[in-house]
Amino acid sequence: MSSTVSTESSPTAGTVDRARPPRAGKRDVWLVFWIVPAFYTAFGVIFFALARVMPPPRPDVTVDQMAHFFHAHALTIKIGFGVLVLIVGGAGVSNGIVVYHMKRMTVGSVMAYAYMGSMSIGALPGCLLVAFSFLTAVYRPSRDPQILELLYDLGLLSYVGSLGCFSTAYFAFAVAILYDKNEIFPKWLAYVNIWQIVTEILTVAVFVSKAGPFAWNGCNSFWLGTAVFCFWLGCVIVFLMKANERESADEPPLD
Amino acid sequence: MANTEQTAADLDTTATSSVTTTEAQRRVHLPGDVHMWVMVLGDLIIFGAYFIMFMIFRAMHPQEFLTSEEHLNINIGVLNTLVMLASSWFIARSVQAARAEDHAQALRLTYLGGLCGVAFIAIKAYEWTTKIAQGYTISSNDFFMYYYMLTGVHVFHVSLGLLILGITVRELRNPRRRRASMVESGATYWHMVDLLWIVIFALLYVMR
Repeated sequence: MSSTVSTESSPTAGTVDRARPPRAGKRDVWLVFWIVPAFYTAFGVIFFALARVMPPPRPDVTVDQMAHFFHAHALTIKIGFGVLVLIVGGAGVSNGIVVYHMKRMTVGSVMAYAYMGSMSIGALPGCLLVAFSFLTAVYRPSRDPQILELLYDLGLLSYVGSLGCFSTAYFAFAVAILYDKNEIFPKWLAYVNIWQIVTEILTVAVFVSKAGPFAWNGCNSFWLGTAVFCFWLGCVIVFLMKANERESADEPPLD
Repeated sequence: MANTEQTAADLDTTATSSVTTTEAQRRVHLPGDVHMWVMVLGDLIIFGAYFIMFMIFRAMHPQEFLTSEEHLNINIGVLNTLVMLASSWFIARSVQAARAEDHAQALRLTYLGGLCGVAFIAIKAYEWTTKIAQGYTISSNDFFMYYYMLTGVHVFHVSLGLLILGITVRELRNPRRRRASMVESGATYWHMVDLLWIVIFALLYVMR
């Protein structure tokens, strides 16, 4: 790929390429790339270990049990989501580098913008709303348990049930990969995006199910979706790295 | 005489080796592209997980599932199955026609396969409408939740399949394209949709 791009930029580059060691891509792009695994690692630690949103607490509990959840985890929720609110820009950076490589594809920018727009909106219900709901819940511990119940439901429904924006982003990503002739990402990654859409569709029942496989903590709506998401994220990180490696350092900046 | 025997033996050897080569080629030929096979096998794993979970929940509440299952109309299920099998048959024949470079026939058969896909969705929409009118909705119980979710996500696959068949049609209509591998990829996906329906039909409508 790098030799193809070099040849296009300069007719003599083919001979020059053989003489010099392979270029390691652009430094600024690498810098942005390393934010992706760092952000998602922090995201995982916050959501699993601190805020206790993953795995999600049960939807079929009493109001008092919900209030107890907030009282028991008040400190870790404050630390976890406090840090998240500070570093949430990492989500934008993670989406930004995908958009950057999508813009290097032969399909033009339209799908990249669709991905960027959808992911940006998706971050609100999929990440920030649960953080602010939980932070509000633990802000005044003496709050009425009925209000704590509302914040518990609002936070978890928005976190697990934020579906449409991500589905649109995955669809845009899949279409872009399939049309691309520069082979920035492998074609099968497009189909991994389709699996993501499948798991999003199967999560739609969280809004009517309070227990069982389709509840917000259920095996169908949460666990399988999370497993496929982790696989997707792993693939995206690996292939972003490969796309960086293949990008020649002297490739002209994008428009 | 000896010479003739020699020639016959040579011909035989050549014939055998050409048969072997063809067989070897047939054995290594992967219809479509490898990316589509990743999609199909991965999707089957994901659906396999859903099917296993369905079986687990069915085993936990056998009476509820059995009673609910009786409210489904097996005739509509059978009709859906026949339409799906017919569409797969058209698509399989379309691949054969495309391989034989009879593109007009391949195009006709792809259209017929797609029409069956549209009919499948229409039948499903009618069935859902009937069930909702009878009061069996997604929140009725676990069985109906599985019913709507499994059939719903399958209809999503059929819709995606129609989009893929549209790409196949575009491929077949353009004399400069007409790559057999593209037609095969589309067919591979379509047959997966068919296979998934057969299992869903068995699990939701037939299993007692």
